Amino acid sequence: MLIRIVTVALLLATTSAAATFAASGSASGAALAATGSLVAAAIGYALGRKDRSMPAAIRTQMIKVADDLAQYPAFTRLLRAQGTRITESTCEAATVIATGLRDMDANVDRLRAMIDCSAHIEADELRPLVDAVGAPVIGMLGQLQFQDVTQQQIAFLARLSLIVDQHMINLARQLGNRRSMDRMTNFKDMFDKALDDCVMTSQREDHHTAVGLDLHEPSGPKIEMY
Amino acid sequence: MPSTIFIVDDSATTQMSMEAILRKAGFMVAKAASGEEAVTKLQGGLKPNMIITDIHMPGMNGIELIRKVRAMAGFQFTPILVVTTESQQAKRDEARAAKATGWLVKPVQPDDLLKVAKQILPNG
Repeated sequence: MLIRIVTVALLLATTSAAATFAASGSASGAALAATGSLVAAAIGYALGRKDRSMPAAIRTQMIKVADDLAQYPAFTRLLRAQGTRITESTCEAATVIATGLRDMDANVDRLRAMIDCSAHIEADELRPLVDAVGAPVIGMLGQLQFQDVTQQQIAFLARLSLIVDQHMINLARQLGNRRSMDRMTNFKDMFDKALDDCVMTSQREDHHTAVGLDLHEPSGPKIEMY
Repeated sequence: MPSTIFIVDDSATTQMSMEAILRKAGFMVAKAASGEEAVTKLQGGLKPNMIITDIHMPGMNGIELIRKVRAMAGFQFTPILVVTTESQQAKRDEARAAKATGWLVKPVQPDDLLKVAKQILPNG
């Protein structure tokens, strides 16, 4: 601070002196004072350059990187939402399958008890219980499709993580080379491209929510005959 | 003679699930794990009464398979049902344009699958 004050004072003094010498007709005095003024101006310029925190181009880059990083929560929100969907669907399937097995086991026990207690059982008497044993099977088989659905959801998560990888590489390049800024794909563009991979209604809803859109696309009926 | 339903899906669990549901209802079932395998089987003489195909499969996808099958002699009118996690209207329209018969969203409830199968193949 003191150096700055001294430099400004020196600049003013030498400039003023140069003007005074010039007015009084002393060429050598004016030249000397003008030289001093130039030296003071050069010192001031050098100090000014040193004092600037960073060049404007780098500041712009850092702001752009910060803007991109600020969008990550939308991305991680989508990841979490997909994780929740997977947990919910596997939980539902596991519950249906476990309940079916429990009911089948209970009905097998009843069937065994009937056979043990009665010497002569008619087939018609057993049939309702036998049917009850097999009843949960179809529902359980239907629930097995959860594996197919979750497999696709997990594959989607893997593709999302690749987008993050690519974006981090781009950010690193951008920080290392200021000319790369123009080449870098915007994170939002990459994230929007991920929407193309969202084939399920639930995925598209999660994506819209993650980017802050209150948008519900019509998905059509679960069964449609043409 | 029970009708034969040809399931084309790369997911082993979905294949197994639909096969068991359909067999229990009295249908015969043939299976393929890809569009290419399905075409090979059809060209090899398999004559299903109905085809059920997934959309998202590695290699030939379901829509391509439908187009290919429709171009094959003897399969212009074979019912083809799409069963998929895909729910976008654009894809449905694509399937319709390729001359699919219907569309079911996974996971398919057994009752829904059987209802549609019996609607298309009323004689079982």
